[in-house]
Amino acid sequence: MKFRNMNWAPYLLLLPSFIYLMLFFAWPMVQALQLAFRRDSQILPLRAEPAVEDAAITGELERGTTVELLDVMVVETQRAGGLLSDRVFWLEVAGIDPEGERVSGWALRGDVFVADASRSSRGTVRSGVARLRAGPALDAEVIGELPQDTEVALLEWDRSGQRVAAGGLLQKPLTWLRVSAETEDGEVVEGWLERSSLSIQDTEISSTGRVQSGRGSKEWTLDYVKRMVRDARFDDAVITSILLVVLILPVQFVLAIIMALVLQSQLRFNSLFLYLYAIPLGISDLAAGLVWYTIFTQTGYLNSFLQSLGLIDRPFIFISSAHKEWIIIAIVLAEIWRATSLVMVIVVSGLQAIPRDYLEAGEVFGASLWQRLRHIILPLLKPSLQVALILRTILAFQVFAVVVAISGGDVLTVLANEAYRWYDIGSYNNKNVAAAYSGFIMLLSLGVAVLYLRTIRTQEEKEAAG
Amino acid sequence: MTTTPTTHPAPPITRVRVRDLPIEQQRAIRARRLRRAGTYAVAIAIAVWILLPIWLIGTLAFSTPADVRSYPKQIAPIPFSTDTMEFFLNAQGVLPATRNSIVVALLTLALSTAIAAPAGYAIARYFFRGRDAFRLSILAVRAFPIVILAVPLAETFRRLGMFDEVYSVALMHTALTLPTTILVVSSVFASVPRELEEAAKVFGCSAFQAFLRVALPLALPGVAASAIFTFVMSWNEVFASVVLTLENRTLPALILYNLDKSGDPFKFAGGFFMLVPSLIFIFFVRRYLFNMWGQITK
Repeated sequence: MKFRNMNWAPYLLLLPSFIYLMLFFAWPMVQALQLAFRRDSQILPLRAEPAVEDAAITGELERGTTVELLDVMVVETQRAGGLLSDRVFWLEVAGIDPEGERVSGWALRGDVFVADASRSSRGTVRSGVARLRAGPALDAEVIGELPQDTEVALLEWDRSGQRVAAGGLLQKPLTWLRVSAETEDGEVVEGWLERSSLSIQDTEISSTGRVQSGRGSKEWTLDYVKRMVRDARFDDAVITSILLVVLILPVQFVLAIIMALVLQSQLRFNSLFLYLYAIPLGISDLAAGLVWYTIFTQTGYLNSFLQSLGLIDRPFIFISSAHKEWIIIAIVLAEIWRATSLVMVIVVSGLQAIPRDYLEAGEVFGASLWQRLRHIILPLLKPSLQVALILRTILAFQVFAVVVAISGGDVLTVLANEAYRWYDIGSYNNKNVAAAYSGFIMLLSLGVAVLYLRTIRTQEEKEAAG
Repeated sequence: MTTTPTTHPAPPITRVRVRDLPIEQQRAIRARRLRRAGTYAVAIAIAVWILLPIWLIGTLAFSTPADVRSYPKQIAPIPFSTDTMEFFLNAQGVLPATRNSIVVALLTLALSTAIAAPAGYAIARYFFRGRDAFRLSILAVRAFPIVILAVPLAETFRRLGMFDEVYSVALMHTALTLPTTILVVSSVFASVPRELEEAAKVFGCSAFQAFLRVALPLALPGVAASAIFTFVMSWNEVFASVVLTLENRTLPALILYNLDKSGDPFKFAGGFFMLVPSLIFIFFVRRYLFNMWGQITK
């Protein structure tokens, strides 16, 4: 092609597709790898003792990890010449670290979010005399004084965070509380107190929490992949996924070739048959799963049928953890029912590309159907079958909704179902492991494609050599 | 269907009864008729295998709620009732989800066709450097498990504030359907004779006018078929939808998410409701099916 005569039109026409696939295909793929292999999270170190500086680190928890609350400790530190004290909450928590091990240790309350289950409603005056004020401010009018150890009822919290500058020494948001108390002469007074002048019973906090901060970290990691591989359901998912491929594909291809030959034999109502055979092309895996659920569920059609024949006297429970083989059979049937049409269409296209002379020659020489199939049709169909095989295997690794519709996805699991479970907010809510599963499925698909193409090539070489 | 013998063409010149023929020919003809009958039997058996499950779930979808729960199950919807279907359609979230599904599918159809049509046309009409590479990569992308990419995409959408939006699902579905649509559209345009367009140019049309007035009208039915197929693919898609939405579920995502919380009538009616579009749309696109997939093997 001469550069002078280069026509830019086709490139302009391709540009939108190219950009779109870059944005929504190539970029998410990079993202998937980043999610699966890169820890981009905040890690909270847990301490052996409730102290920041010198305590050893006993473990690390990722942001978002749910933790169990084991113990609470309040450490008071005197500040500003002993006039004010800081109360620091330390929580002893336990949770599962990124490696999947349970670790426990101490963390500051600010780093772990724990909901206050119920806020204490009582307190006592801590020391000296507390001045009750008319409003939540240090310059508000003093309306009464409460001596040490007076019990007060807490009515309202004000965290508007008024800062007080005691000679510029303290810059601290103050919490004001509206309290009511009984004075020594039996009178009930109401007013505002600064929180530090009260000793408040620790509010009860719930027994679980969530890590909400930590130090940021970005690093390459195999943790998510390890976690995926170590997960108890990983082996199940891999085995079931491969088992489904092995069980479904052979039957599917034989059936598809039969369907294609039927369509090629020019029956009457040929276009009706074509329509019927193609219907499953437009049926989703979820709908197909539900269709076969009607057959295999406990009060479903299979049991109804068997019972009407008198073979059973009460419904047999096909879908249960005790009969995984029946779940597999149901899924296999549903997938064969749904996805054979796709193979059929590819095979018919392939058949149409075979010159009629070849087929007729076979007939003229009196070859039986099997002989024609074996020596003429199948060898010529090879490229089509090859493509269909790659396509169907890769699609079979994405089987998801059929499994969930038939079995609920708990008793029996497949790879895509695990990716969803790890992703699901109601379940594990771990996008990284979910991305690891995505990457695993991609890799598996790629491996399958390469494997097929190599096998076929070496076979061709063998044939060429022999 | 048992009228097989009459469908076989009689010998061309004179009508001869089979039994008047020499014995070898009689045998051959009988054997052929037998084979023909066998082919019909197989064809019908396969049709039953495909239709029976649809009939059964349809039966349940249109039985009374009492019949749906009964055991053993009946094999025809008698008495016919729309109560189960109405129960499903009135269940919480079903109508909004159906609307979402239709909106997503229409957006996907529009976006996918608009982006894919130029590319398909370019592949069909121009010879240019990188054409084969582009075609090959489209084929590879088509075979790739794109749905799985919903997981990383959900994270990106979350960051950009596009999570749980109907149009985000449509963006993902467009990525999903784009490779197929490009291949189909290119095969549709390839089947429109190039000479017609060239003739239009000879008579003074510009390249664009020739495309608009000649190629496009001829290709339109095929492009429409591909658009319908895109609609069905989007309507059916579950995994990406359930990953990318939370409140604004599409219908399959809603049904999947509620599977373990809902009873059999919901599942039966929902399953049937979802497969109805397929029954209708496949009828319209059946002539173009081989256009869609024939390309892939070349």
